[in-house]
Amino acid sequence: MFTHYLDLSWRSFKRTPLVSILMVLAIAIGIGVTMTSLSVYHMMSMDPIPSKSQQLFHPQLKTMDEGINWWTSNDMPTQLTYQDAVNLQKAEVPAKKSISMRSGFSVHLGDGSIKPFMSQARFINADFFSMFQLEFVFGDSWSLAQEHNATPVLVIDSQLNDKLFAGTNSVGKQLYLDDKAFLIVGVIKQWTTHIKYYDLNNGAFNETENIYMPFPLVEANQYENWGNTNGWKHESIRTFEEKIRSEHVWLQFWVELPTRDAKKDYGEFLLAYMQEQQKIGRFNRKELDFALHNVTEWMEFNNVVSEDNKVMVALSFMFLAVCLANILGLLLAKFLRRAPEIGVRRALGASKTQVFYQHLVEVSLLGLFGGLLGILVAQLGLWGVRITRDYYENLATMDITMLLAAPAIAIVACLVAGLYPAWLVCRTNPAVYLKSQ
Amino acid sequence: MLTMNNIGKIYQTEMVQTHALRDFNLQVNEGEFIAVTGPSGSGKTTFLNIAGMLEPFSTGQYLLDGVDVGKLNDNQRADLRNQKIGFIFQGFNLIPDLNLYENVEVPLRYRGIKASERKRRIEQCLEQVGLASRAKHLPQQLSGGQQQRVAIARALAGEPRFLLADEPTGNLDSLMARQVMELLEQINRDGATIVMVTHDAELARRAPRNIQVVDGKLADFTLYQGAPTANAHVLEGV
Repeated sequence: MFTHYLDLSWRSFKRTPLVSILMVLAIAIGIGVTMTSLSVYHMMSMDPIPSKSQQLFHPQLKTMDEGINWWTSNDMPTQLTYQDAVNLQKAEVPAKKSISMRSGFSVHLGDGSIKPFMSQARFINADFFSMFQLEFVFGDSWSLAQEHNATPVLVIDSQLNDKLFAGTNSVGKQLYLDDKAFLIVGVIKQWTTHIKYYDLNNGAFNETENIYMPFPLVEANQYENWGNTNGWKHESIRTFEEKIRSEHVWLQFWVELPTRDAKKDYGEFLLAYMQEQQKIGRFNRKELDFALHNVTEWMEFNNVVSEDNKVMVALSFMFLAVCLANILGLLLAKFLRRAPEIGVRRALGASKTQVFYQHLVEVSLLGLFGGLLGILVAQLGLWGVRITRDYYENLATMDITMLLAAPAIAIVACLVAGLYPAWLVCRTNPAVYLKSQ
Repeated sequence: MLTMNNIGKIYQTEMVQTHALRDFNLQVNEGEFIAVTGPSGSGKTTFLNIAGMLEPFSTGQYLLDGVDVGKLNDNQRADLRNQKIGFIFQGFNLIPDLNLYENVEVPLRYRGIKASERKRRIEQCLEQVGLASRAKHLPQQLSGGQQQRVAIARALAGEPRFLLADEPTGNLDSLMARQVMELLEQINRDGATIVMVTHDAELARRAPRNIQVVDGKLADFTLYQGAPTANAHVLEGV
């Protein structure tokens, strides 16, 4: 019967083309607006690294003295001090861990062949590549010895490699950052993540860096960070030495804890670490505290999806509801006009359920058409969003989930709008119309 | 075949209570052809709607082929209607968007009959009413008489044992009315039980058994001609 109902629905569509097109347009506009905001919300809130998001953790340590508060919801800084980051990196546990710090340089090849340009760089430890599943196109990461010795080596991404070396294997070639030469040891595939979850201090939706360098180079060359540095007490940080010995927080730190036990063990380790630090006059507080957030928790903690976005999604659904109210009125008129035919069908053996089902199939078909057209409207809306800010480039898009969700939401919405008209028409008394036709 | 015991039907509005049928008793046997007459507003159509399970009754008991209709839910009534009853209306009530083939197909669709069997029955019924060659035509391309013949074909397609006809010749000229009547008589001879509401006294006289409805009650019956002996009896008119 379903195909028969589809056939009847299509005939009904053709019988009243103007009303049907009006309804499809109303659904399409409602769905288009809804899907535009929902797609942005979806991309902002989706898990950026599903296979490891529950294994990668960002620790927080309550470094402040007793009586000092931080402005975060858990009263802890979101970054670590240099001392803590380096100590935790040197610790035996866990197996994989990495400090992370953003910086940037003027990039050139030292031979005048290209005009120098600014590029962002990230100082990390070698584990970072495997922890965040960065794929090498050429070469590999630097060795542990190179890292310990602060050897001037680096890894670039394919975007920079394309720009500087036309996509050829650049491993072994030199790259100048400001006035220093560095040896390229690897080229990774460009890191395309729509959320910069590994460093939420510098814009959650900014582009990833093009250059990756061993973290020990920071101290060796006294590189400054391109990001936030926060403190909780007055300290002089006029020199680099003062800064790395201070209680200022300016480094991100990630650990990979594959199991629940590993997380528990690491928590105990952090407590023990803070107790040790108390012996040298740090962590002056009665109760030591720390936090371990995995990737999704970290995004939530840092309000990656702002309240504004949630309000926008809610408003767009309200707009869809207004469109549905209009559709409901049109459906009522359309269905009740057909009451005489329904009377005949009832007399010929159709049950109320069958009549109801037939009309729900019809509204579903309208929803499908509206949903498909709504995808086009949403594409227009997303294009409009993309041209407002650069960082929307990766966010204002519809992935396969949203493409499938559009007709599904449209069909469900139309079913909701069509329930009352369908119920009303299936309850009409056939006898009234049979005599009067 | 059909038994109505003390059927009552009351239409209730805020101001008025109207008794459309009261203490209505009727027994219709297999193979009968009954004409129901009566003045306008007497309750003929209400009786027909209740007989066809298109309207619920207020009081009494209605048995169709031994099934107590009052105890059925809507889906069961729809099934029973689809299986046992064929309708023929004064206004033909063909669905304008469907061609003749598709119109006749409607009751068969609801019965869930397979496409090949539907095709066989539709072609047979359209053949029976002499419209097989016009199966792809739309109703508005036919004359009134032809449309009524399509409606009869549609009523016959489900092979019902019970045909309910409400003024089947009311919208037709005398020639077409006679043709339709002859068709109904043929269908009755083939075994179907027919109850026909009509205003036309001449048509009513052609039916073997007449009943008259006045003020919602069964008032009278007359056996005019050649009724089967099995039918030449009965009627508890009030």
